[in-house]
Amino acid sequence: MTWSGLFENMSPANFINFSFLPKFGTFFIQGVEYTLILSVIAVAIAVIPALLLALMRLSKNRVVKSVSGAYIALFRSTPLLVQLYIIYFGVFGLIKIPSYNIFGFIDIARFIPGVVALALNSAAYVAEIFRAGILAVDIGQTEAARSLGLNGRQAMSLVVLPQAIKNILPALANEIITMVKESSICMTLGMTELMWGAKTVAGTTYITIAPYVLAAIVYFCINFPASKAIEAIERRMRRGDKK
Amino acid sequence: MATKNDSVQLLISVRDLTKTYNDGAVRALDNCNLDVYRGEVVSIIGPSGSGKSTLLRSLNLLETPSSGSIIFDGVDLADKKVDINLHRRRMGMVFQHFNLFPHKTVLQNITLAPVKLKLQTPDEAHETAMKLLERIGLPDKADEYPARLSGGQKQRIAIVRALAMNPEVMLFDEPTSALDPEMVGEVLDLMRDLARDGMTMVVVTHEMGFAREVASRVVFMDMGSIKEENTPDALFDAPKDPRLKEFLAKIL
Repeated sequence: MTWSGLFENMSPANFINFSFLPKFGTFFIQGVEYTLILSVIAVAIAVIPALLLALMRLSKNRVVKSVSGAYIALFRSTPLLVQLYIIYFGVFGLIKIPSYNIFGFIDIARFIPGVVALALNSAAYVAEIFRAGILAVDIGQTEAARSLGLNGRQAMSLVVLPQAIKNILPALANEIITMVKESSICMTLGMTELMWGAKTVAGTTYITIAPYVLAAIVYFCINFPASKAIEAIERRMRRGDKK
Repeated sequence: MATKNDSVQLLISVRDLTKTYNDGAVRALDNCNLDVYRGEVVSIIGPSGSGKSTLLRSLNLLETPSSGSIIFDGVDLADKKVDINLHRRRMGMVFQHFNLFPHKTVLQNITLAPVKLKLQTPDEAHETAMKLLERIGLPDKADEYPARLSGGQKQRIAIVRALAMNPEVMLFDEPTSALDPEMVGEVLDLMRDLARDGMTMVVVTHEMGFAREVASRVVFMDMGSIKEENTPDALFDAPKDPRLKEFLAKIL
């Protein structure tokens, strides 16, 4: 191999060789759909356990608090890929899910373990979002509610959480964006999301760079406008706050 | 006060109340004893950091005492077995920073607790709230959100929110300290009205004029303990405690 051969693939033309599109375009379209469905459902599933984890973490009971703390530490301190494998092969090695396609391209035998793994991971991060959102509400609100005779749960659900939502929603939307990117890891389990589509096209056509470039463009075109939209909404909400 | 007539009923009796932080390193309250009789207005004064807010907030257990007891209408609130929520309903609390619920309208702020605690039906609560708002001259603000009100209006509504629970005592934690000077008057006027109507009140305040005029008794605190208590005239005109003399010399 000559030196020039080493850089053969670096030719700019290879980055934009989208000649595979007419034949393999559906891999990308279904891939995007798969990615979006996977991410949104994973975060949606994560919301309830995350709220529980956050409330547990804010609890005065030391045991309850440390159970939640341990969960969050565990999921935030190990790689998502490792969690994915342990849950896929460990947990779902015992619970067999029959192969069944929904929408024609989502095989639940792979989708369910994947979405559960992502949700369990996301719950740890969303829990911290909830916790921060709750703590951002002035303690005087809780004190006012409690001094009216409302119990802790009523104060939380009637007074604190409705105000915390404003802090929580933008961060939650950002978590979905993170998930859109992170879920590419599910490719390793054969879940047919966007990255899997790109890899399959690359393997089939021997066009090695452009499919990934296209995948990057698609990820960018989803996430960048979405994060800008969230910023704009956040700004507007802050303006509404001003007295 | 042992000299009080027996017909005057003791409502709150604080005994040997101590509150420490950091495993006893900081003593926020040091062996405080205080009696509050029905219909009385007790003003608590003292320099900042003297523990007056802590003492007030202990009365409805927003601060948990380290030791001692708080007997409210015969029940020791410091006892962990007591359901504090049932007693807090009967004690209204007004904060320095109002703490109205910003996501609720004025009316919802007032009716929330009575309705959720099933003390009043929504209709009754609505009626009570409107009557109270009329009393303070703000019925047209019923559907406004707190952000659209002035500080004085917010605090008067916070008082009304507490009154809607029909409390037996009202606790005020520096109710005028966060207000612009021109709004202090309207809040003090309302408090004066309440006192005249016979409401039992405990008021932490820097408004010496108010303490002198409205209070039946003034309590001076310093370094977490009650240094002197007396009728306003006696306390302000003939202070005995050296720290109180020093304090009065500075502010009057």
